[in-house]
Amino acid sequence: MTVIHQPETAEANVETMDWMAAQIKMPYTLTPGQATGIFLAELAGRRLIGSRHGDELIVPAQDFSGTTGEPATGFVEVAPVGTVQAFTTGATGTIGIILIDGSTVPFVHQLLGVEPEMLELGARVEAVWADEPTGGMLDLAGFAPLGSAATFEPKDDPADLAAAFEKVDYTMTLDYRHAYGPYYGTLFDGVKDGRRIRGVKCSACRRTLLPPRALCDICLAPTAEWVDVEAVGTVQASSVVHIEFIGQRLTPPYVYAEIVLDGTSTRLIHMVGDVDPDVAQTAAAPGARVRAVWSDRHTGSLADIDHFELLPGDET
Amino acid sequence: MSGRSKSIAIVGTGQTVHARRRTDVSQAGLAREAVVEALDDAGLTMDDIDSVIVASGPAMFGAVNQPEKWLVDALGARYKPVVRVTSGGGTGLAGALAGMNQIKGGSAKRVLVVAYDKLSEGQLQASISTLYDPFWGREFAVGIMGFSAAYWHARIKRLGHTEEAAAMVGVKNRKHALANPKAHVKKEITVEDVMASRPLCWPIKVLDVPPISDGACAVILAADEDALSITESPAWIHGMAYYCEADNAADRQMIQSEPLQIAAAKVYQDAGITNPFRQFDVAELQEPYTCFELSYYEGLGLCPEGGAAELVASGETAMGGSLPVNPSGGCMGANPIGATALIRLAEAAMQVTGKAGGHQVPGASRALVQAGGGWANLRGVAVVGSEKR
Repeated sequence: MTVIHQPETAEANVETMDWMAAQIKMPYTLTPGQATGIFLAELAGRRLIGSRHGDELIVPAQDFSGTTGEPATGFVEVAPVGTVQAFTTGATGTIGIILIDGSTVPFVHQLLGVEPEMLELGARVEAVWADEPTGGMLDLAGFAPLGSAATFEPKDDPADLAAAFEKVDYTMTLDYRHAYGPYYGTLFDGVKDGRRIRGVKCSACRRTLLPPRALCDICLAPTAEWVDVEAVGTVQASSVVHIEFIGQRLTPPYVYAEIVLDGTSTRLIHMVGDVDPDVAQTAAAPGARVRAVWSDRHTGSLADIDHFELLPGDET
Repeated sequence: MSGRSKSIAIVGTGQTVHARRRTDVSQAGLAREAVVEALDDAGLTMDDIDSVIVASGPAMFGAVNQPEKWLVDALGARYKPVVRVTSGGGTGLAGALAGMNQIKGGSAKRVLVVAYDKLSEGQLQASISTLYDPFWGREFAVGIMGFSAAYWHARIKRLGHTEEAAAMVGVKNRKHALANPKAHVKKEITVEDVMASRPLCWPIKVLDVPPISDGACAVILAADEDALSITESPAWIHGMAYYCEADNAADRQMIQSEPLQIAAAKVYQDAGITNPFRQFDVAELQEPYTCFELSYYEGLGLCPEGGAAELVASGETAMGGSLPVNPSGGCMGANPIGATALIRLAEAAMQVTGKAGGHQVPGASRALVQAGGGWANLRGVAVVGSEKR
């Protein structure tokens, strides 16, 4: 599992600094619930299972009817045959909204082996099964024009229903381009090229705000001027991290620190490095004085600072 | 509250059996379970409900965006107004406040608030790390745990607290959870156990941390005569407020939570509370880690700043003390984050209506509720009582 935050791999924007690439990748183990769990499990046996809710039949089987909210009162094996109610064709193929015979609720799946220009609403289709079931929705590969599939009256409460799948593995990968905007842009231009950290001064209260921003939080006055800030400060809060956090570069244990750079009024989140974890509890405690150690990376992010190091004997 | 505004009450509550992982229900089925129990408790059906508020944590916890849309089927809420409210750990209380405002504003008479999270399905701390500004902090984000530990450390230094004081919170709440049939962590521990447990983000250790849970909670809100037509014993809400602060605000110290202090002042004024420690019979405070409960004692004015360690050590906040805090066991018994804040409110309602069973505080008539997200930045407070106000 990874949460990647790696502007250094962004392909195009290193020169322009318009945006920063970030990717979030998260694995899940989803719980389908009883009815959908049975539907998924039965696909390996090439059976389509619906759920009965009073007079209503829903395929794929659902735990609850969207019409009444009522739970399923039984399961039904339905013929693997249905009707196309709508479709659209994109670069990866044709997707249809299919109403299985006898079902009251349509669902979305792939249409296989169809010529979109020949396809018409109301077309009759049949299930196409995966050659090798892998234990998921794609064990039902999709639907193709009706051929020789057996049609039959729905069979109530089929014997030998498979046990419901309790877990479905899933991974969500999300790519983002975060615009720097004028304030982060100016700050990180300076970080990347000149190893400068710049905040903005409030035109009224004269606080130096870092990260820089258009308005002061305290007096709501516009900020007026850019000021260079020395990469030296005081630990406001710190903890000793003993467990792995996804996306972190350091191997635990290490010190997480919220640092207020001298002359500024807001915190910077980073790490205190080069400190024995046994003494970190006291040596890197709130009040400890620290200084940035620059890395050899020039990415235009806070990761250009490798870590903060303790300044000896200067605790405030 | 002024005499002319509506008095709103909780007329039904429901909770799932919380668990580390519920493999028998989907997210929607989990939420439904709490709703069915709340409707039964109130003697109502979905036909009696005008509006539904769904409250859940960050969508990234469960991989389903806009889950309220999915829940409509399971709740039988077709053609009703259904909206989702989310606000970190305080989500459930923020949802209840939205429901109250719908009734106050006149757009609904009876509002169902359902809050849930099925945390077994995703990556909790990594999801929380995505709450950070991508430019300012996310690269070094260590979930809520490392961040909270850092400011607990600052509180220890500033206020002279000890790790043992927080350990006492864990011991107390885990003991309380033994009597709560909905809690799923039921194990008595000692202060020594907590102190000897493995550091995760020091000063936070394994036994300072609540479970990760699947669970849901639902409450039904109604006003005045309508509430009394539903139940003889509504839990009247004497006040509720929810505030936040700016993440990168200047001069932000986080030794105390300003939003908590602001919310408490507002709610105490509405509820006529001038001496909270004396006036409340029971409190349900949302403690994602043991150290949080200590900071709440101070932020809620139950003791002076720096007095929290002494207060927990006195035993006055344990069952049998003068102000039992978290008789349900709090988060230490179960912690489905999106639901947790609403569980605190539901538990308070159960206490003041005498429905808390084995963890009932005898004769409780006025309860304090606190919930929130982040170490300090989102905080809600509510007061619930058996008397209409």
